[in-house]
Amino acid sequence: MKITAPHLGNVYIAAKALFDGLGIEYIMPPMNNKEALEIGSLYSPEEICLPYKIMIGNYIQAIEKGADTVILPGSCGPCRFGKYAEMQMNLFNKIGKDLNFIVIDAPTDIGIKELYSRVNQISKNSRRRKIRQVGALIRAVKVMNLIDEIEEKAHYLAGYEVIKGECKRLLNSCKRDVLNTNNPRDMIGILEEYKRKLDSVKIDKDKNPIKIAIIGEIYTIIEPFSNLYIEDKLMDYGVSTKRRLTPSWWVKDTLLKPTKLNSLEIKRSASKYLSIGVGGHGRECIGEAVLAQKEGFDGAIQIFPLGCMPEIVSKAILPTISKEKDFPIMSLVVDEMTGEAGFVTRVEAFIDLLERRRKNVLSRS
Amino acid sequence: MIVGIPKGLLYYKYYPFFMTFFKELGLEVVISPDTNKGILDEGVKYCVDDACLPLKIFHGHVAVLKDKCDIILIPRIMQVRNREYICPKFCGLPEMIQNSIPQMPRIIDKPIYAGTRKKLYSWAKDIGRLITKDKSKIKRAFNFALIEQDKYKPGYNDNNQGLTVALVGHPYNIFDKYINKNIVQKLNKLGVGVITEEFIEETLIDEEVKGLYKRPFWTFARNSYGFAANVYREKRVNGIIYISSFACGIDSVVIELIKERIGNFPFMTLKIDEHTGEAGLDTRVEAFVDMLGRGVI
Ligand code: SF4
Ligand code: SF4
Repeated sequence: MKITAPHLGNVYIAAKALFDGLGIEYIMPPMNNKEALEIGSLYSPEEICLPYKIMIGNYIQAIEKGADTVILPGSCGPCRFGKYAEMQMNLFNKIGKDLNFIVIDAPTDIGIKELYSRVNQISKNSRRRKIRQVGALIRAVKVMNLIDEIEEKAHYLAGYEVIKGECKRLLNSCKRDVLNTNNPRDMIGILEEYKRKLDSVKIDKDKNPIKIAIIGEIYTIIEPFSNLYIEDKLMDYGVSTKRRLTPSWWVKDTLLKPTKLNSLEIKRSASKYLSIGVGGHGRECIGEAVLAQKEGFDGAIQIFPLGCMPEIVSKAILPTISKEKDFPIMSLVVDEMTGEAGFVTRVEAFIDLLERRRKNVLSRS
Repeated sequence: MIVGIPKGLLYYKYYPFFMTFFKELGLEVVISPDTNKGILDEGVKYCVDDACLPLKIFHGHVAVLKDKCDIILIPRIMQVRNREYICPKFCGLPEMIQNSIPQMPRIIDKPIYAGTRKKLYSWAKDIGRLITKDKSKIKRAFNFALIEQDKYKPGYNDNNQGLTVALVGHPYNIFDKYINKNIVQKLNKLGVGVITEEFIEETLIDEEVKGLYKRPFWTFARNSYGFAANVYREKRVNGIIYISSFACGIDSVVIELIKERIGNFPFMTLKIDEHTGEAGLDTRVEAFVDMLGRGVI
């Protein structure tokens, strides 16, 4: 069995750690690229959301590299993501490409037995003993948490760095170096070293950079290709960014969901404006906007794919928050037609606006 | 007190319940007029532009109604069957309205879970209490409302013409004649009868959806799929027309699942938004009927 999984930000790094640890061959789809999106759009219904299309591109490019099985997480509504797996299976049947799907759904939907049997389809291919399989999983989670932490740090410190571009350079070489080993323990070592390096980046504490929160639909904010690498661009501009939704956040949130103790702070912050979950991460988007204002950010950017249902609800609410709290929020919609030029112009204009606001406040006081 | 009920979204399916309930509680009920150009324009003006047509139209209904009533029903219908949803936009409907339309009167926005009678009653109790202290009155109003709802049988079942098509889609797209440009009448004029999902038994729909890999978790999508699959399998109709709104995330999925199921069976999607012209739609319907007619001979 040769396993692959669709791209979502840095998850491929954790996936590599997991499958290397299990001794199962893992085919990483080529990093997201234009061609993947083009292939995906060709095979997808026109009005399906962008993440679906990019994922199809990932599968097909992974098949070309020899993959025969894909794993992906499932969900049971209310949003479309829950139906992805079924539609994708139908598609691959129709175009006659062999691809075995393993969908990891919540036990509340498919029963614990079914979940166990699905997980077993993967683990039976590992010749390692059970105890070592568990170890591999633990290390993969650790890798994921580390890379998320590193990325978060780099995005934030980019506004304070003394040597321009240092954070971005470190982040990029970290992502490169960590793939150079097939031993999960070494991966952890490499990541920890980069974390230390980032901690000792020379920073200017008095700098007070523009700070922007990145909020919106989870795939399009985590997967840099889908948002035209907005976080990288903001690093170049010397803007500090923060994004609460990460793969490690998602795992924690999903595991805690049955207890209703997940993301309490976000839910509490959202409650005045949206008291109820609307599927996807619409409520989180509202809560994060409120939190960002409270934490002294200059503004927030909401990103979502064209036609994304939960985020359309949020988009209707955000202007009220913006007005009530005097907090600029910009919404960016992305799809396969989004052009680089227009996108950059809007981001730059938004940064300009935030800078002007600061100057006005200063001159007024 | 005057309560306003906007004639949009699931109004077409559940108005007897709401109307009877409020009337029995002694309120005066006002309803917005049938959808028209003015209502659509109001909706387009207020609603976020990324939304689908039915949602924009609902905004329009609220806008023309808001000054004519003291309190307005923005039904946050979360569920009509257990463990299923309708659409993410329904869950956030009151928030969308309140943040988009200025100077709203008081609104009724309490989530409605209608999966069981008991759950629905708890909604009725809470709303009733805003209006009267008399508990038995609320109970009576609720019971009456359910009886009226039960009596109401919307939908079409006309297979006495030469050809028959199944009309599939969300209830508001099927029943709002402004949205669908009066398609039923058009089809009848062409000698085509129409049937809708209301006339297929629940058990048959259940039967069909069992074939899916994943439990369908949107009620109306489940109905649409089950209905289409059933009329196809039992050859009850000559073709299927799906009325869909642009930017409807649910339809984009259901249409794929239906196509997958019915293969080459005659199927047409009519995608509608505020720019859809009547002439273009006519042409497509006529062409489809033409094709079906040739199939018969
Ligand atoms: S949340 Fe948005 S992007 Fe995700 S499945 Fe739903 S509509 Fe698609
Ligand atoms: S189901 Fe579709 S048409 Fe209905 S409100 Fe949701 S997105 Fe709009």
